[in-house]
Amino acid sequence: MGGYLLFIKVKLKNCMKQNTQEKKLFNFGISTLALAIFPLFWFLSQAILFRELTEIVTRNVLVLIAIPLGSTFIFLLFLGMNKLINFAPKDSRDVLEARMFVGPSIFMIGLFLFYPAVRTFYLSFKDRYSNDFVGFENYVWAVTDAEMITTIRNQVIWLIAVVTLTLIVGLVVGWLTDRLNKGESFFKSIVFMPMAISAVGATAIFKFIYEYRPPPLTQIGIINGIRVSKGDNCYNNRIIDGEFYGFDDASCVAPVGWLQQRDLSALPIAETLQDGSWLSNMFVNLPINTLLLMVIMVWMYTGFAAVVFSAGIKAIPAEIMEAGQIDGASEMRIFRSIVVPYIKSTIVVVGTYMVVTVLKAFDIIYVSTRGDLETNLLAVKMLDEFSKYRNFGRSSTVAVIIFICVLPVIIGTALRERDNLDS
Amino acid sequence: MKKPLLVAFLLLTLILGACGGGSLEGEEVTITGALIGEDQEGFRANIAAITEATGIIVTYQGSDNFEQEIQIQMESGDTPDFALWPQPGAVVDAAKRGMLTPLEDLDIDLDEYKSNFSSYLVGLGTVDGVIYGGANAANLKSIVWYQPAEFEARGYAVPNTWDEMIALADQIVSEGMNPFCFGMYSNGASGWLATDWMEDIMLRTGEGVTSYDKWVTNELKFASDTVTNAATLLSQIMHTENYVVGGTDAIVSTYFGNAQDPMFSKDANGNPGCFMHRQASFIPAFWPEAAQAGVGVETTVFPFPVIDESLPKAALGGGDMWGAFNDREATKVVAEYLLSASFHEPAAQQPNNARLSAHTGFNNDLYSKDINRILGTIITDALAADAFRFDASDLMPPEVGAGSFWKEMMNLAVEGPGYIGTAMDNIDKSWP
Repeated sequence: MGGYLLFIKVKLKNCMKQNTQEKKLFNFGISTLALAIFPLFWFLSQAILFRELTEIVTRNVLVLIAIPLGSTFIFLLFLGMNKLINFAPKDSRDVLEARMFVGPSIFMIGLFLFYPAVRTFYLSFKDRYSNDFVGFENYVWAVTDAEMITTIRNQVIWLIAVVTLTLIVGLVVGWLTDRLNKGESFFKSIVFMPMAISAVGATAIFKFIYEYRPPPLTQIGIINGIRVSKGDNCYNNRIIDGEFYGFDDASCVAPVGWLQQRDLSALPIAETLQDGSWLSNMFVNLPINTLLLMVIMVWMYTGFAAVVFSAGIKAIPAEIMEAGQIDGASEMRIFRSIVVPYIKSTIVVVGTYMVVTVLKAFDIIYVSTRGDLETNLLAVKMLDEFSKYRNFGRSSTVAVIIFICVLPVIIGTALRERDNLDS
Repeated sequence: MKKPLLVAFLLLTLILGACGGGSLEGEEVTITGALIGEDQEGFRANIAAITEATGIIVTYQGSDNFEQEIQIQMESGDTPDFALWPQPGAVVDAAKRGMLTPLEDLDIDLDEYKSNFSSYLVGLGTVDGVIYGGANAANLKSIVWYQPAEFEARGYAVPNTWDEMIALADQIVSEGMNPFCFGMYSNGASGWLATDWMEDIMLRTGEGVTSYDKWVTNELKFASDTVTNAATLLSQIMHTENYVVGGTDAIVSTYFGNAQDPMFSKDANGNPGCFMHRQASFIPAFWPEAAQAGVGVETTVFPFPVIDESLPKAALGGGDMWGAFNDREATKVVAEYLLSASFHEPAAQQPNNARLSAHTGFNNDLYSKDINRILGTIITDALAADAFRFDASDLMPPEVGAGSFWKEMMNLAVEGPGYIGTAMDNIDKSWP
């Protein structure tokens, strides 16, 4: 090997024109050896070693020795690759070394991310047992099935409403806390606190808030509790002398199963609105349960958005703000013309994060309604098709649809990153 | 590590072979299953009786992860002698994969088995005419919970027929109260209570179990007169004004576990929120603690009323089933005991037993709890008439049984009787 290297070096001096071709070839040889053949050899020897070891030692011992043995092997892998790369000419070593360090992670991502993604795509064209190809049948189902259409509708409502609300409320809260003279960090930590609760916990809390019990029973949900005790002689939990007086008369307001309402028709407000115009029709058809579930996510992520925005606002130079104030701009004007443009990139980042979070939203629905009564989202629908209806093809199709939805976000982020690098 | 065990085993078999002389004393038979907790204690008491009678050491090990574990064991060939599955479908699945020994090879008298457990139950564990599954325990859904004291105080009689139940309901409404508790919200499974109602009505109308069995396979369409009629009767309960406490909104919004709570809370006049609640035998676990203590006495059940009196008394429910993995002599003996009428006796006498024997010859007086005696009698009668049926929605394809059937029942509750035709058409359309 060394002799060949010397030979190349001599040739390099002698003939500049020919050498680029040969150098390329040589580099290719080295990188194949260092980054493909050697790791493969390394992997096989390790696999064989462990296979033999399982025969000899018991499970517990195997677990114990696997850790030091495994790390030693990783060390040997990089050592070997490094030694091989050292044979390459100096000017191409940097590239090869970079590849050497990136290689394993690319391999891992390929194995655990890229391969499953491609396979999911492949399975989405097969039938429920993944046996036969069905062409685009699953995709036709995805856009024609009534339940799927509802699910996609919900996902769109979630995307628009949750992202917008989180951004607006987060921006306002971030701006307002920044104007506080005292206790800024205290208020910020309170607003941020929902982030510290898991989505499952937050949903459980809100489930209690929306809780419904059939009318004679005491309402334990706060909204229904307030509702039924509205008006004279209406009580939620009335016990006089140990007697239960929970039975309300018909004139009192009835409790509402909030998470079970697909529209507003059960609410008295709907009756006053039914004039038949398209606007009131649309209002009456608002999917109230979906909206109430979105509140949970907005509540959870507003604090996060506010804290990030607040950090962005802090970075605005004081001179600009002062200049605005001296010029007599109102608070509103300063907010619109200085603050928002200044933290635009922060808003885009938080918005991107929220879009991805909403597309992945799973736990809120899973814990609260489990997708019943037209509240389903794509992520839960994917699981339903997999475990409830045992249809692998359709499940994969839903997964692909989610991926397609995330795609613009990924491309947008990549483009922005490139712009950032360029500038 | 394995060698000493093997040597010990060989020695043991040698010794046993030498001095056993055909006796099964000391032979080991293992059973695994999904029963845990109280149920496991009961089952262990049952098999302890086998050990006492035969000397065969029978052990039972339950696991809440049983269904996955048995799959792995079947793959690796490391199976127990028996597995007790909570669903007969799993027995059929294992039998189709060639894992199970037919009961015939275990020297079971098949005719006697069929007459003891009803040919329907036996049929659930049959593949291509070969019987693989052994029926064991059953549970019941065809019951209506009520409080006898409240009925007596107002002079109400327990309704035996649908018409009597409607008459009673009308009377209760006319006295300013609500007859039924009805709540079918259930996260991810909302609607199953209404499908249970439909199934109970189906068993008692049309051609009874015959049309029911056709309905399960969609030979009888949802849009047919029989099924539509069943939906109409259900809608009568759901949509007649003041029949259900809280009205339609309560049916859709009430979590099924809370549905019966109005029955346990009385107003200033001492009237409960409702008088009747049709729900399966497991529901007492969801009641308030105070009410749970009175199960079987204070709050008890009457069978779901008869609709067509010419049909046999049917019952809706579920049950578990075992399969055997080999035909050793000891396995044969244990199998025979498992199918005997007295098998469930030790468990039945335990104070917290909740399992009911599926053997028609079982002496229901032996149950320690009052409620079990009532439930046991309903099950035995239905099995004896071969009118015991499994939950239809569990037997239908999941797109229907766990999908459109549930969903359309929810829609029906919201939309009212005018929606019946649409609901039935939609379910038919979703059949794969």
